[in-house]
Amino acid sequence: MRILALPPEAPPMLRRLTSGLRRAALGAGALGVAAFAPQIARAATVHVTVAYYSAATGPYFKQMAAAFEKTHPGTTIKIDVVNWNNLQQVLQTDVSGGVPPDISIIGTRWLLSFVKDGIAEPLDSFMTPAFRNRFIPVFLKPGEIGGKVYGLPIAASARALFYNKTLLTKAGFPNGPKTWNDVIAAAKKIKAMGAYGFGLQGKEIETDVYWYYALWSYGGHLMGANGKVAFDSAAGVKALTLYKTMVDQGLTEPGVTNYTREDLQNLFKQGRLGMVITAPFLIGQIAKEAPKLAYGIVPVPTGTVQSTYAVTDSIVMFKASKVKKQAWQFLDFLFTKDNRVLFNKNEGFLPTTRAVAADPYFQDNKQLQVFVNLLPKAHFAPVIRGWENVAKAVIDAVQSVYLGKAQPAAALKTAATSADRALAQ
Amino acid sequence: MTASARRAFAPRMLIAPSFVLALFIIAYPFFDIARMSVYHVSRFGILGGFAGLANFRRIFADPVFIATVWRTLVWTGAVVSGTILVSLPVSLVLNENFHGQGLARTLVMLPWSVSLTMSAIVWLWSFDANHGMINATLQSIGVLRQPVQWMARASTAFPIEILVGILVSVPFVVTIFLGGLSSIPSDIYEAARIDGAGRVQQFWRLTLPLLRPFISLAVVLNVIYVFNSFPIIWVMTQGGPAEGTQILVTYLYELAFRLGRPGEAAAVSLAMLAILMVFTTIYVRMQMRSAEP
Repeated sequence: MRILALPPEAPPMLRRLTSGLRRAALGAGALGVAAFAPQIARAATVHVTVAYYSAATGPYFKQMAAAFEKTHPGTTIKIDVVNWNNLQQVLQTDVSGGVPPDISIIGTRWLLSFVKDGIAEPLDSFMTPAFRNRFIPVFLKPGEIGGKVYGLPIAASARALFYNKTLLTKAGFPNGPKTWNDVIAAAKKIKAMGAYGFGLQGKEIETDVYWYYALWSYGGHLMGANGKVAFDSAAGVKALTLYKTMVDQGLTEPGVTNYTREDLQNLFKQGRLGMVITAPFLIGQIAKEAPKLAYGIVPVPTGTVQSTYAVTDSIVMFKASKVKKQAWQFLDFLFTKDNRVLFNKNEGFLPTTRAVAADPYFQDNKQLQVFVNLLPKAHFAPVIRGWENVAKAVIDAVQSVYLGKAQPAAALKTAATSADRALAQ
Repeated sequence: MTASARRAFAPRMLIAPSFVLALFIIAYPFFDIARMSVYHVSRFGILGGFAGLANFRRIFADPVFIATVWRTLVWTGAVVSGTILVSLPVSLVLNENFHGQGLARTLVMLPWSVSLTMSAIVWLWSFDANHGMINATLQSIGVLRQPVQWMARASTAFPIEILVGILVSVPFVVTIFLGGLSSIPSDIYEAARIDGAGRVQQFWRLTLPLLRPFISLAVVLNVIYVFNSFPIIWVMTQGGPAEGTQILVTYLYELAFRLGRPGEAAAVSLAMLAILMVFTTIYVRMQMRSAEP
């Protein structure tokens, strides 16, 4: 049996292969060599897949694993760090290959598929009332499906507008813009100074979200009560027209369909961009990479209402896990106060537990408070199966509008039709 | 068992093991894909109910799929014909004896030794609007006044991807052509010269006809490679913006791994197989017919 044990850094592919072999060997053992069986079952190994948030993610989880192993002899924690862009595919292949990890971080918007396919384990039987009470309720909600908790909020963020103080002061908005009209007025002045006014994301993941900011600010909704999409509303057209007008007037960076969220953040750090809407983790990046940049943070500009986008990532346990008890102990350990404070500080996320929120670091952090204060008005991505298809349809629509290939109303209508078709399947 | 039957039996037994192995390697994935294409398949590959031809109907009803089929044909046609057009003169030059021939051959082969993904990344950086060398060069020699956002729209991004595709395909084709050229005996050129044929005539009347089997080989193999080539487009534009650079293989990947629709992805992959089979059959038939005197 020893021969088949792999080092922790073994890639999932290899793990899958050996686990097949191991299963075969176990089968053989059951037939005749049953005496070996106890030896195999003795030590528990918990495989944990985590998403790469920053360079600090891997070291943090390895540190957690080491600390946990010290107090739980006999349990080994193996951490796999996977890039966000590949995470879904990695889990998909692991699950269809029959060797999912025991615990994994996932995007909460994927959770429904995990639950419907019977892959995620409900956590209620493990959760004591005291454990449940550790969380801020609004963040526990997205991980709940059909009255059961499947995912714990490992990371949470909301969005707000970062503005370059130097540029915005010259443009007459030293305290940042409040409404879209402010944004336009400021961007015009900034354009005249030779910088880019408003950063508009037009490429890759979350290109749709960047447009939802405006949609929600005009009181629009993504989904209607009838289970069909509702973004092709008057508010939607207004929001898309707003962005398109800014593109046409040169108030954004040129070639918006060439800019990902990271590209915009880089422009902002270089001081070449006046305004960008993004998550609190930009604070940490600026502190590290552009400490001299003078900037401020204000809520997402309003059209008719105040709103923002809130996201949680969930950590889930897999139904196929053979070491659920140990896996749960590790989860419990991760959600203790000090471990959470360290994680949130490292990554720049918002607190998801009460104890962390009460920590002076977060209480006294004015910048983070902007995000926290927006939470009551936050929208989450709808928990519906096949959400990616809706996001994809919206991305295609807004890109064609930014490129001048389609008109806002028509593009949104097309996207709505194709999204509804995908959801109906 | 008669003597003749026994004679036929032995060789079949001898090839049986490799035949079974090949059958397993080819047939198993094929069977799996074919099965997925007629079932409802969840994101995690769990088979639901029998779907009949629903997956196929769905992809054929998707306007993106239809546009992608045409774009894939343009992509394959442009890259393969471009590669052949570039490779022919290059291999003719490399076949001549000149000082530094070895170095020149190495330089032409070099892109082959770099992984496709890496080449694509390097070219993506080169065409970067703000920091890329292409914009920097064009601006410094005065061709451009403003940086061009090459990857922002399909009308510039797709031709660039085709150019990169040609660049990375040239070494392979040049290798085939050099092999072909070295198989042409030199005395026929001598005879042609004595008969008064110029270099141009020699090329059209001797080199090209004698190279034909090699050109055919290069076309068929390249069509298959380029048609299925994933890295260049995925790295440079991921099929975007607004699906404007999507080819079938990137569309398939997106369906399977981004949008969680493996059943439809399996249907796309069968459609791709059918397109390639039709092409290869027609092409080989044509070649065989025109090769007859």
